Amino acid sequence: MRQVVELVSIDLPADQAEPLFERGILPGCRICPIRRSPSGDPIVEIDGALLALRKETAECLCVRLINQFQDAD
Amino acid sequence: MAELGFAGGGRTASDTAVAGPAETPLVALIGPPNSGKTTLFNQLTGLRQKVANYPGVTVEKKVGKVALPNGAEVDLVDLPGVHGFSARTLDERVTRDVLEGRVEGIRAPDALVLIVDSTRLEAQLMLVEPVLDLKLPTLLVLNMCDELEARGGRVDDGPLEERWGVKVVRTSASAGIGIEAVRDFLTGVGVAVLSAPQPERTVSNVPGGVALPMVAAFTARRVRVREVVQKAGYQQPSPSKLSERLDHVFLHRLWGPLVFSVVVLLVFKSIFAWAVPVMDGVDFLVGASGDWLAASLPDTWFRSLLVDGVWAGVGSVVIFLPQILILFLFLGILEDSGYMARAAVIADRMMYRVGLQGRAFLPLLSGYACAVPAILAARTVSDERDRLATIFVTPFMTCSARLPVYALLIAAFIPAEPLLGPILDMQVATLLGLYGLGIVAAIGTAFLLKRTLLKAEPTSFLMELPPYRIPSLRSIALRLLDRSHIFLRRVGKVIFTVAIVLWTLTQFPRTDLGAPHIEESALARMGHVIEPVIEPLGFNWKIGVGLVTSLAAREVIVGTLGTIYGIEKADEEPLQLQDAIKRDLSPGAAVGLLIFFAFALQCMSTVAVMRRETAGWKWPALQFAYMLLLAYVGAFIAYRIF
Repeated sequence: MRQVVELVSIDLPADQAEPLFERGILPGCRICPIRRSPSGDPIVEIDGALLALRKETAECLCVRLINQFQDAD
Repeated sequence: MAELGFAGGGRTASDTAVAGPAETPLVALIGPPNSGKTTLFNQLTGLRQKVANYPGVTVEKKVGKVALPNGAEVDLVDLPGVHGFSARTLDERVTRDVLEGRVEGIRAPDALVLIVDSTRLEAQLMLVEPVLDLKLPTLLVLNMCDELEARGGRVDDGPLEERWGVKVVRTSASAGIGIEAVRDFLTGVGVAVLSAPQPERTVSNVPGGVALPMVAAFTARRVRVREVVQKAGYQQPSPSKLSERLDHVFLHRLWGPLVFSVVVLLVFKSIFAWAVPVMDGVDFLVGASGDWLAASLPDTWFRSLLVDGVWAGVGSVVIFLPQILILFLFLGILEDSGYMARAAVIADRMMYRVGLQGRAFLPLLSGYACAVPAILAARTVSDERDRLATIFVTPFMTCSARLPVYALLIAAFIPAEPLLGPILDMQVATLLGLYGLGIVAAIGTAFLLKRTLLKAEPTSFLMELPPYRIPSLRSIALRLLDRSHIFLRRVGKVIFTVAIVLWTLTQFPRTDLGAPHIEESALARMGHVIEPVIEPLGFNWKIGVGLVTSLAAREVIVGTLGTIYGIEKADEEPLQLQDAIKRDLSPGAAVGLLIFFAFALQCMSTVAVMRRETAGWKWPALQFAYMLLLAYVGAFIAYRIF
């Protein structure tokens, strides 16, 4: 069972947020958390790309739960 | 919007040479990282590539020649992988400057090839708008098409071509599919580039050039891209099952770090195990050929210059190649297979605490074999400041050249008394202590750097985890060739020069018999000169000479001391040298000498590599002074304590 969340806002100053924007991490995009790294950093799927975020960065992303879907296994 | 040039200040477009009809057209290859750009570049240019640095910066300039079916040629420049054109990272600044034609030594491109990973189309096409703004003939390459189809995705070229007015080509660069179509485009460029006047160009990262809040501007761009992509009937491929299953293991809470440790150990072990016999082989070859040369020439200064100077100098450069090649082979396989990204994620938290990055882990670790390839490998660190910090800290890793020195001094001065049962005796403990000292110094220095000179706003760390792929050995082999070429050309020159200089110092002042005895040479004089400075550390002039000669390479001191104490073949008869030193040095001074070697940057090769990788002498000079200071203070304290 995987959750999909929607990004509501990014709580970071412009120059730290820019790399996220460039990669398409913008308010309104869908994020699917996949797992956590051994040290607890979240690894998410956004638009087909697998991204690892530092915990500190992930904490600045405000998300909203939208639905759940089954793992296509 | 601020015009940003390089360190030398801004340049206007009129300062740079722009295309003239007689010159070869220049096409720029641009795209996000992990889009297969370099593979395409290699496919098109083959071995006809040249790598250099852009002036004044550490970003590499890769230009190659593409042979076209009609017999003509174009120049292709592989720009750094970027996601945008902000001023934030060095790569993006350089890319933008090249596109705007403001970089010395490379003219403004005449056409562009934008390559994206078609399995992540929407996100990667964020580059389309700023690229199209340049109003140059542009080819859009949808790479990794084989993967797209294999994973159930699809897209129509038509709507993309229509909407953006570009030709679209599908490729699978690693499989060699679609390359001909790219060549056709390049042929078209060659024909069309006539004396059309080049308008002045600016590349803007923020869409529309209007002062909207950044979020809104990017969102609007994203919406436009999505619209076109949807019109093209794009179907996102389902995630790679294989990658997911592998990640389940490689990023597992327990198995992940385990696999990581095994991989790290393997890389490390092979650098030592595989490189050493090859290095011994190189040593032997250089020595044997040198002897042969010496035998076939009359005993003149010229022969000495050739054999002891030039030949030994060449040998001291070539000896690094096996380690460099092996390390880069492993790094290449790890990187291309996709595992490196996962390893960086695992190592990241630990490295972040000291102000470095996960990607710096393997390069730093290889510093335990030798700092020279390790500093070269630091290229994988994406952030410029983090990379500098990594390079600065690498020489503290206890490299293998320190071991002969440690072995000599420990054997001579530290008793082999047990400290903790049968496994740990005082000698082993001292050795481990020295290793530990190196790590502590490294961590402390990294910390210090990030707080002072390299202080930066914390960046939001983002690591892309590409799907696992089978690495292309051809691609890796090409990169290995590149690296060795650069190393030999740039770094090799400096190492060689230093070797010649040192040789020269041993040749003067001349006596009736020719070259002076080592004790009377100019080199030894330098040892005498620095004696008052090193006296507070308990060192005498003989050690002083050793310190001077070991500036070239640490292990040289063993041979030098052997010569000074009048002992032949010191490395094969260690006991004699140990006794000699024991009589000359106090235990406290010996510990001080150990600490001195742990901290001081006695390796001209490292300095040479640093100069190349930091594009200047500033950092290596700073590094040298800092480590020397640390070494002096450390040795001083040790001498007083022990």
